[in-house]
Amino acid sequence: MTAGSVLSVRHLSVDFKTDDGTVHAVDDVSFDLAPSETLGIVGESGSGKSVTSLAILGLLPTTATVTGTVIFDGENLIGRSDKQLQPIRGERIAMIFQDALTALNPVHRVGDQIAEAIAVHHHTSRNELRTRAVDLLDVVGIPHPIERADDYPHQFSGGMRQRAMIAMAIANEPDVLIADEPTTALDVTIQAQVLDVLERIQERTRTAIMLITHDLGIVAGIAGRVLVMYAGRQAELGTVEDIFYRPCHPYTQGLLASLPRLDRRATGDRLHRIKGQPPSLVFRPSGCAFHPRCPVSDRDGLCATTVPETRVVDGDHVSACHFATTLGLRQEHE
Amino acid sequence: MLRYLARRMLGSIPVLLVASFITFWLIRRAIDPLAKYRHIRDAEAIMAQQRKALGLNHPVIVQWWSWLTHFVRGDWGTSARTSDAVSGMIQHALWPSVQLLFWATIASVLVALMLGTYSAVKQYSAGDYFFTGLSYLGIAMPDFFFALLAIGALVTWPAVHFHLNEPILYSIGLHTEGESGLSLDYFRHLALPVLTLTFGSVASWSRFHRSAMLDVLNADYVRTARAKGVPRRQVIMRHAFRNALIPFTTVTALDTAFLISGVIVTEKIFSISGMGQAFLTALGAGDAPFLLAWFVITSVAVIAMNLLTDVAYVALDPRIRLS
Amino acid sequence: MNTPAMLSQRPIEDPDLAPGSGPVMRTNWQLFRRRFFRHKMALVSIAVLAVLMVACYGAPWLAPYKQGAQNLLNSDLGPSTKHWFGTDDLGRDQLSEVMYAGRISLTIGLAVAALSTIVGVTVGAVAAYFGGATDQSLSALTDLFLILPDLALLAVAVLIFSQSYTSIVVVLAALGWMYMARIVRAQVLSLKEKEFVEAARASGASTTRILIRHIIPNCVGTIMVNATLSIALAISTEATLSFLGFGVQPPQNSWGRMLSDAEAYANSSSRFYLVLFPGLMLLLTVLAVNFLGDALRDALDPQSRR
Repeated sequence: MTAGSVLSVRHLSVDFKTDDGTVHAVDDVSFDLAPSETLGIVGESGSGKSVTSLAILGLLPTTATVTGTVIFDGENLIGRSDKQLQPIRGERIAMIFQDALTALNPVHRVGDQIAEAIAVHHHTSRNELRTRAVDLLDVVGIPHPIERADDYPHQFSGGMRQRAMIAMAIANEPDVLIADEPTTALDVTIQAQVLDVLERIQERTRTAIMLITHDLGIVAGIAGRVLVMYAGRQAELGTVEDIFYRPCHPYTQGLLASLPRLDRRATGDRLHRIKGQPPSLVFRPSGCAFHPRCPVSDRDGLCATTVPETRVVDGDHVSACHFATTLGLRQEHE
Repeated sequence: MLRYLARRMLGSIPVLLVASFITFWLIRRAIDPLAKYRHIRDAEAIMAQQRKALGLNHPVIVQWWSWLTHFVRGDWGTSARTSDAVSGMIQHALWPSVQLLFWATIASVLVALMLGTYSAVKQYSAGDYFFTGLSYLGIAMPDFFFALLAIGALVTWPAVHFHLNEPILYSIGLHTEGESGLSLDYFRHLALPVLTLTFGSVASWSRFHRSAMLDVLNADYVRTARAKGVPRRQVIMRHAFRNALIPFTTVTALDTAFLISGVIVTEKIFSISGMGQAFLTALGAGDAPFLLAWFVITSVAVIAMNLLTDVAYVALDPRIRLS
Repeated sequence: MNTPAMLSQRPIEDPDLAPGSGPVMRTNWQLFRRRFFRHKMALVSIAVLAVLMVACYGAPWLAPYKQGAQNLLNSDLGPSTKHWFGTDDLGRDQLSEVMYAGRISLTIGLAVAALSTIVGVTVGAVAAYFGGATDQSLSALTDLFLILPDLALLAVAVLIFSQSYTSIVVVLAALGWMYMARIVRAQVLSLKEKEFVEAARASGASTTRILIRHIIPNCVGTIMVNATLSIALAISTEATLSFLGFGVQPPQNSWGRMLSDAEAYANSSSRFYLVLFPGLMLLLTVLAVNFLGDALRDALDPQSRR
């Protein structure tokens, strides 16, 4: 475990039993989260990024088998019961979900739901709870917080709802905040506002944030380090500059190349896309999961037979590709 | 809320009118008001006279309208069987049935909610399978067979086997001679009829609630509650159950009319002189005036129950209340 | 977030993708068979129903005694090897009576289900397809009959006719078709908007043709399930009617009627078998039909949870 990290994930794997076979949703993922840093976890749908976050808090259904370790505060969180995890959930590690409309209980008032987050961990008077809830709504930038605290989730707009969720998550000033696609369901302008709220909160409380998204643009703006995932496995991990300027994994490179860019010359060509489709997580390609779509793979050689382990490219920048160093060297020469 | 209620009540009036017309028409066809005159001397003449007096020469809809106008003014006619005032008979018969329905509804709702919640929370456990099996049995069992089995098992067999002077539970009426009020005697009489009325509803409602709870337990907001650190019991009750109650109210509304059919069978078997028994007697005797009033009262009762559950539904779901 | 269910989707065939990465697609019929046969209770039910139908419809050849054959010397006997279900106060063998009565109970159930299905499907499909006044009147009608207690209405209606076998079937079906109509209406309404209907209409197919060849075949699953369940309901309702005295009249017999006769003996511990056996037959039949209906529903609609 890296000294000083608040959360340390090692060889995390999650399998689901289904009628069609075992789904390998997460396969051997390892990363650290330093205090007060923002780690962006990027990947397509099905890459396993959300499942990873749910695994940390033990929120996966019983059909899931979770192996590996997640060290928090000196203890491994994996395999613990609901009762054992209860003091940590919402208090030390909190989570924000993607769709605030379904993630908030429709029959309880927003203020009450925020108050509940506090009340289950601390003995507080009703008045105190109410004051804190209103305060939190104010902190996240909701106007007229006193009146709004008595409203129901369906009476909020999308952006406001998401802010209310954030308020609920930071109520106990957790050490870690996991944000699972917090802006995916929102308009671009609202997205910016919500991300802004997150940044302000982090400045205030020095919480570490794990931001899960498929949107590289968001990651570029707010993250310090980035973990790129593909088909349940980690592809690349490094600082934002490492990933964006010196990507050493063909998948990352493909992702970056498919971003519409204003600064490149318009060549009249179509947008670049990565050929093919993400693989089934039940019947994965042998060897490297990305090799059928990879422009640099040797189809029947190493890439098809051996799963590439994560190797160091430069300091803390790691990549799970057989040709990571070659790709790294190529960058230097460009 | 009040406006909503008022609107719904007004909306039920046309339904009531059509329903009463249909029952009027059916009863006219089923019961021959001139039956008692058919085989006497001078039948023809007397029948013609009676036909005029009873307004039978007019089209059915006119006859119905005439009956209706009397009815809403409080004139419910006299029984063709006993010549007593129909309104009095109905009043008399209502009370025992209301008691049965009251206890049965409370018992059904409470037991169904408990069983459904338990089965959902402990899905696939032995208890869940057991109750699911029981539900299947409950849904398939005809209520009169259940009642007879219950009598055999809980009244007859213990009395014979343990050589009792008095049965533990009674199978006739609601009170023993001379007793009244909420005594133990009352509940010993109530037990079997209420059980008969309840088991069918419990069987289907508990399965429905189980499935509603399962749906809700998989909802995003339940996951959020767990992520907040809300203890399991509170998650189940304050978050899941509270939301599963909403669809539950719709299911209870649908069954009111069926409950009334159940009351007819139950009162017959357990010799309770309520609306059910009264219906059977009236039908057997061809007592048209009574039957007409009977149908109106039961329809009103069903509509009232539906309105009540509507109100409950709106009260429980703020998304509907505040839109 | 992606649920594991979504994650296990078979990959879309993409020429860029490496071949051989997905499982074989199964046909609809095989899927149906596989899901249906997973229901052991349904298989047991089919067996039970088969035995019942053979026993009841084969009563003239299989019953140990003739129907209504009295033998006062053997009256009021409990179940024994000579009389498996015992005898009543006139010495009639109850096993035979149950078998003969079963014919009526089962036939009425099947006939009512068939009739109400045909009428219900037609009305429901037409109402949904044409919409407007037809649809509204159907909805109003169905809602109306939800207010009136069905048993009471049936009892009155049956009195209008001669209380013969046929009139009971007609009356029960007359109240039963509305449930099926509602369900079919909902199905047709959703199907109406689908593309293949528009395509058919664009190619000039007449309304009847569209209804018969395109829409109804897609409802078959739902129709089958509900028709099955309505058999159970019909058997139950006839039994209740007969129990109250408004159904089948002597000399015809049904399980409900047998229970009506036996009602007096519920209080007796020595003659309880007169209540037990006809009731048990009713219970078994309805239970079996329900299991069958449930299994059909699961097999035809994978979305429905247990």
